[in-house]
Amino acid sequence: MTGDDQGQVVQVERSRRTIGVSGIQAGVVIALAAVAAGEFFEVRPPDAYGICMACHGRDLVDWLVNQWSSARWPVSQASLVFPLLTSVGVILGGLVAAMMSGELRWHRARKPLKSFAYGLLVMNFALLAAGCATRLLLRTSAGDPLGVAGFTAMVAGVILATWWLRWRALR
Amino acid sequence: MTVAAVASLVVGIVIGFVGQRSRMCFVGGIRDFILVRDTFLLKGMIAFGLVAWVAFPVGGLVGGEAVAGFGKPVLTTLLLTVVGGFGVGYVSILANGCPFRQHVLAAQGSGSSMYYLAGFFAGTVVFQLVVWPVLVRVLP
Repeated sequence: MTGDDQGQVVQVERSRRTIGVSGIQAGVVIALAAVAAGEFFEVRPPDAYGICMACHGRDLVDWLVNQWSSARWPVSQASLVFPLLTSVGVILGGLVAAMMSGELRWHRARKPLKSFAYGLLVMNFALLAAGCATRLLLRTSAGDPLGVAGFTAMVAGVILATWWLRWRALR
Repeated sequence: MTVAAVASLVVGIVIGFVGQRSRMCFVGGIRDFILVRDTFLLKGMIAFGLVAWVAFPVGGLVGGEAVAGFGKPVLTTLLLTVVGGFGVGYVSILANGCPFRQHVLAAQGSGSSMYYLAGFFAGTVVFQLVVWPVLVRVLP
């Protein structure tokens, strides 16, 4: 991803703003869904586990590996009997929303290997921190000191990376 | 336990839908604010944090299972969490979106996000086979 792409993406996404859900509305809905899943629908333990793209994806992959082989890879307690399907759900929900709004379009990957590497890295970092960006914030809201540490570190990473992107684009 | 699976699928569909309509991203808010002083996503992220902060105790009051409390951080876990958190933030910006946003982008047809997801799920295998065994050996 070059600085050029970045600018293009920001521009394309800004033009879409008039339709649909605002950022605040999305934040509220996602937060309520996350808390409800954890407190009323058994998506626990661990605490503050309502939404985590990384951990739930890990649970799904590990559960499948455990089913198909003699491996005993760790899954969270919430996924012991049947894995959490948040990743599948988000893809389905996104697909439906994109189809309804006519935004379902195939974009060829320009740097597939780079994207693959980014995904691999993010998953490993997220498993180290026990949470993707969403769950780090969720844990912070639930009052987990480790969550606060992880979220602060994530914000630092985001700021540094953004500065670096801008520096590279303006160079 | 099966309740959790069904609930997570439903929750996923809801947040996937909302996330696609709002292009919600949990790292993009800070990026947009720094780059173009745009607060659309940042407000969403702050709203998420505040609503969850209020909803956790309220959910416990109205009959949900309240948060049981978290253990005291140990130095090793703290270190791993900080390194992991930093990495998540840094690489997510390079990849142009947090894991949630990448799922949504893949769903609406972005090829690079599909490769990202392939790497994402391959990452769990790499973590189990390589990263975790190495860490267990290196860490006290």
